[in-house]
Amino acid sequence: MAAMSSALVADRLLVGRMAEGEDIALGELYDRYGKTLYALALAIVREPADAEEVVADTFGQAWRQAAAFDPGRGSVGAWLATIARSRALDMVRARGRRARAHERAAHLSEDGIATPVAGLGPDPGRGAERSEARRLVAQALATLPDPQRVAIELAYFEGLSQSEIAERLAEPLGTIKTRMRTGMEKLRGLLSPLLEGAA
Amino acid sequence: MTTAHEWRDLAAPYALGALAPEERRAFEAHLAGCDACRAEVGSFAEVAGLLAYGAPSAEPPVGLRDRVLAEARRVRPIAPAPRRRAPAAWLAAAAALLLAVAAGVEAWRLAGDVRALEHRMAVLDSTIAVADSTLAMLTGPQVHVVSLAATGRAPSARVFWNHARGRFIVLAFDLPPAPAGRAYQLWAIAKGQAPMSMGTFNTDANGRATVVLPVAREIAVLGFIDNCGLTEEPVGGSPQPTESPRLLGAWVHTD
Repeated sequence: MAAMSSALVADRLLVGRMAEGEDIALGELYDRYGKTLYALALAIVREPADAEEVVADTFGQAWRQAAAFDPGRGSVGAWLATIARSRALDMVRARGRRARAHERAAHLSEDGIATPVAGLGPDPGRGAERSEARRLVAQALATLPDPQRVAIELAYFEGLSQSEIAERLAEPLGTIKTRMRTGMEKLRGLLSPLLEGAA
Repeated sequence: MTTAHEWRDLAAPYALGALAPEERRAFEAHLAGCDACRAEVGSFAEVAGLLAYGAPSAEPPVGLRDRVLAEARRVRPIAPAPRRRAPAAWLAAAAALLLAVAAGVEAWRLAGDVRALEHRMAVLDSTIAVADSTLAMLTGPQVHVVSLAATGRAPSARVFWNHARGRFIVLAFDLPPAPAGRAYQLWAIAKGQAPMSMGTFNTDANGRATVVLPVAREIAVLGFIDNCGLTEEPVGGSPQPTESPRLLGAWVHTD
């Protein structure tokens, strides 16, 4: 979840200021990532109130652990997305929604979760960078052959392992492994403009 | 024997969290000694991070920003660890940005009383919302409670563990505020294990505190702890207690 390199430096700077206890920096980080993380959480937990809690918890954890953030291990955006995704998946698991998640996934395997966001206009001001990222990611996902995209989305949005995905789709495990790997390699190529700054 | 090529193939599913547990452990052991695979994991982790943008666009509720800030104001960040030295060029860029940001902050500070008051009201609203949800967490199902009592003095504390929501709710009474630079830290004590931090807090001038702390993963996975202790530590907390508990209690398990 990296954007332009200038934004990256500023992201890290914000986290540094959070570690010093500056809540204004936290507000700024929210302005940059709140919307994206909310959309991510909602895609996983499906309930707006739960998604809200996931986002609040994510920023709470980022606030408390700002000093432990290590830029050498990745971008601020990827760090936040990792926290939010794992909290959202924990919530789904903890609340015994497995059955419902399964139903959703059955639906997902037909349609995919990433509905094209072609109609999405650019956000004003700072949000423009994020919506450029959103456009590029949607485009990249749309470029993937459906089976590859579905394997990646089931892992990312549903938290399923490769063998669970194989079982779900009634495909051989080896096939799922190949699809996931090939799809991720393609995404890495397609999204390289967004990834350069993070290296 | 797993070949270098086969290991590398695990980087993408690992970054997606899609490996089976035993496969993940084997790969992590391999990662410790393989720079190439670590680099591969790093780049796929960034790709995975970008997938967040693949979620259908959604507008967060208006009050969420204030809730995030209100919760942060109740908890201080964990004290910064000594940072590694950054390259000088990065520092210079950071300093320049810091100046720019500082100027922006000053402008923000001068941005008029009305806005400040509106903001204050929103914060109060969300404080009330937090209080409401605290109450809801205390009264919900699947809640465990521990009472911590001092041997001679009056201070006491009560900690509720809401398993469903993954929260500790801490109520402290007659506990004098920790001095400047110090805070109270709660410890989860499970038999045969080192105490695990449950988080830090401080009391107000009246010796009271009501704090909601997220349950750390290491505690959540245990699902059960025997005792709960309270010590005074430097602000931000210590990795392990530096004094014997001032308050101590055993968990009451109701289910």
